[in-house]
Amino acid sequence: MRVIAFAGRRLAGAAVLLVLLSGVIFAATAVLPGDAVSAVAGVDASEAQRADVRAGLGLDRSAAERYASWVAGAVRGDLGNGFVGDRPVTEVVATRLPNSLLLAGLTLAVTVPLATLLGLWTGLRGGGADRLVATGAQVIAAIPEFVIAALLVAVLAVGLEVFPRVSLVPLGGTPLDVPRALVLPVLTLSAVGLTVATRLLRVSVADAAATPYCEAARLNGVRGTRLAARHILPNAAGPAVQALTLTTGALVGSAVVVENVFDYPGIGRELQLAVAARDIPMVQGIATTLVAVMLAVLLLGDICARALGARERHGR
Amino acid sequence: MSRQFDRRAFLRRGAAGAAALAVGPGLLAACATDEPRPGRKPGAGSPPRSGGTLRAAFVGGGASETLDFFKGPSALDLVRARAWHGTLGNLDPEGPDGVRYGVLKGIDVSDDLSAYTLHVRPGVRFTDGSELTSADILHSLGALAARSTLPVYRLAAANFDLARAKADGDLKVVLPTLRPIADGRMILCQGNFLVVKDGTKNFREGMPSCGPFRLTGFTAGQGSAFERYDDHYGHVPHLDGLELRSIADSTARAGALTSGETDFAHDLSPVTARTLADDGKVRLVPTKSPYLVGLSFQMNMNTEPFADPRVREAFKLAADREAMVKTVFYGNAEIGNDLPSMGFPDYAEGLPQRAHDPERARKLLKEAGADGMRIQLTTGPETPGMVEMATLFAEDLKKAGVRASVRELPAGQLYADFAAYAALPLAGSYQMPIPALSTYQMNTAGGSPSAFGWKQAETDALVAKARAESDRAEAKKLGTRAQRSRWEEGNQVLPVFKPNLNAQAEGVGGIGDDLFEQFPGFSQASLG
Repeated sequence: MRVIAFAGRRLAGAAVLLVLLSGVIFAATAVLPGDAVSAVAGVDASEAQRADVRAGLGLDRSAAERYASWVAGAVRGDLGNGFVGDRPVTEVVATRLPNSLLLAGLTLAVTVPLATLLGLWTGLRGGGADRLVATGAQVIAAIPEFVIAALLVAVLAVGLEVFPRVSLVPLGGTPLDVPRALVLPVLTLSAVGLTVATRLLRVSVADAAATPYCEAARLNGVRGTRLAARHILPNAAGPAVQALTLTTGALVGSAVVVENVFDYPGIGRELQLAVAARDIPMVQGIATTLVAVMLAVLLLGDICARALGARERHGR
Repeated sequence: MSRQFDRRAFLRRGAAGAAALAVGPGLLAACATDEPRPGRKPGAGSPPRSGGTLRAAFVGGGASETLDFFKGPSALDLVRARAWHGTLGNLDPEGPDGVRYGVLKGIDVSDDLSAYTLHVRPGVRFTDGSELTSADILHSLGALAARSTLPVYRLAAANFDLARAKADGDLKVVLPTLRPIADGRMILCQGNFLVVKDGTKNFREGMPSCGPFRLTGFTAGQGSAFERYDDHYGHVPHLDGLELRSIADSTARAGALTSGETDFAHDLSPVTARTLADDGKVRLVPTKSPYLVGLSFQMNMNTEPFADPRVREAFKLAADREAMVKTVFYGNAEIGNDLPSMGFPDYAEGLPQRAHDPERARKLLKEAGADGMRIQLTTGPETPGMVEMATLFAEDLKKAGVRASVRELPAGQLYADFAAYAALPLAGSYQMPIPALSTYQMNTAGGSPSAFGWKQAETDALVAKARAESDRAEAKKLGTRAQRSRWEEGNQVLPVFKPNLNAQAEGVGGIGDDLFEQFPGFSQASLG
């Protein structure tokens, strides 16, 4: 019951935050230098043509006016049409967001079990293995994503030819129709996520293992998997879960590099293209959606962490 | 790199960071565009096939791609439309009027150059069995193209009174000109005037059309699929089907080609193209003149040093054109002569080629009292090679005694902030291939903002006179005189024309035969 009340409170807070942040995003688009006129009418359009196009796009109205009409549409679920190509923003979000969520979800599915195992192993063992994994993780975390992607491509796509070089999705299909094409993007994103999560977990596992509570459990003869699963993990997972939700939420919109290298049809690149073309309705729609996703993921993370915390107190 | 760093830095800032996270990646241009990729050894891949389905990869425009080519600005929107719809005609140096007609039989020009009569080719059928008539052409030109804001259609609107076009029976359309012009065929038959059925408002799969292929599937940002239209006018394509895919990244496009996932890759970056040079299974097929993109530097005559013609000449002499072609494009480009539209029939090819003469440049600058001047060259990554060109030009300028520096704007900003662009003292830019004189009239004449302070009533008048001259030799003479004044006094350094660096699998052929190479057509293509 307390969790539901907590979730309700946080949900209301998130809604308010979403509205505020949509205003911040709009302000950001308003201060971006330039507008979409050149993207729509070409660089060589005359002043009169520019003015026409500007009026046609509604850019001659004040920013406040434009924001108000955007909000009015958004509450009815209408995010407007993009300036470039005139496509409904909701349609673009609806086709691209699921792909990005899938990519982030799969990355999470790879990262969590591996990070848990590695974190527990290194945190509890210490010594040479720990130092090796910790250094390895640090090195991988320091390599830019596109280098990891290029290495994976060189070895797995070009050298061994086990996975396709480019994630071409069949027309009208989804990435799930070509599971092989998902492997390299997920591996690239997982490499970075895994190293961060492992390092976080390793520290909290070591901390938890040193608590008197665990000491007592150990003295009572609890050993191995049981010790790790029942006594250490619940205590160590809290901070790691929150960190992981942050990275995962961010992954949805910021996998641009991976989307580019593998030509994965995600939403991050759409946002990037829209910003370059100063396509304000598209930027606004996509960015607000991503903020909503981020807030939802954060909320989930908080609920998980709270549930773990409750258990922890109970356990003591 | 910076992306990774930013993500982590933002993470620490909790919820407020959420907005920044959401917007951040878009603001930071992707940094993965041109990473050197380990070369692929020839080996596996699909062998050439006859008939079959050709798969081609283009940059595309992401999820904002549209079937309505009057609204879609990306190259792929037009390529897709070319496969799907009939065309008025394409430029063809070997054709009788310098053009090869499509759904037209020919174009007559009235003696006073006040009207063009388009003769419809009889027997052209749409996929629903109906015959193409003047009403369809009228709808495509007068209703759809006239309302388009895209630059490609503006050239026609600047020369013809599209709204007053009239049908004369089923097989004739009369198109009045806005002023007397003799080169209107070159404008109407540039390849981008495509014809859809009368009354078409919404472009959707399954709508009747008369191009070489029927559209069978379309997903914006991913691709489109076609099958051959067996009743296509003229000749029927060799291919059974066609698939046009969007692959934004140049390296990824090349990768898809070398791994056999596609048969044709459009517009690769010079670096990517070079990595393909050793690959025995693919062939580089750069577009040929006139389908070359001009890379240029605009000197703003409203700013101090460039008001002096000696300074402008010095800047033109300082450019080491051959080095640019060799270094930036690995030899895959042509040297420019400071005039746009190379290769078009109205281009002044008779003018002498500008030399590379840093000594003389230095002397001219000294005479003008501009030696040691400081200048910032502003450009952006709008087309592959532009930033590299600017970097080289700045080095050339330094050798001529100019203290030059380069400022690179983030992707998209150079032209988006047009007021700032038009006020730049020195801007690195590019020109799409379009005819010389009509383009001058539209974009440069009359002190247009994109002319960077060039305002010469005499040249404007010469161009107008050249275009209104029916005698071809005389028109050529007048046009060359007008372009000579731009060449001598003008404010544009145009050192290099670069092709679209396309590549195709060994055995693929016939793409160039479809003309209008910058937006490849596949009606005569085969897989070999």
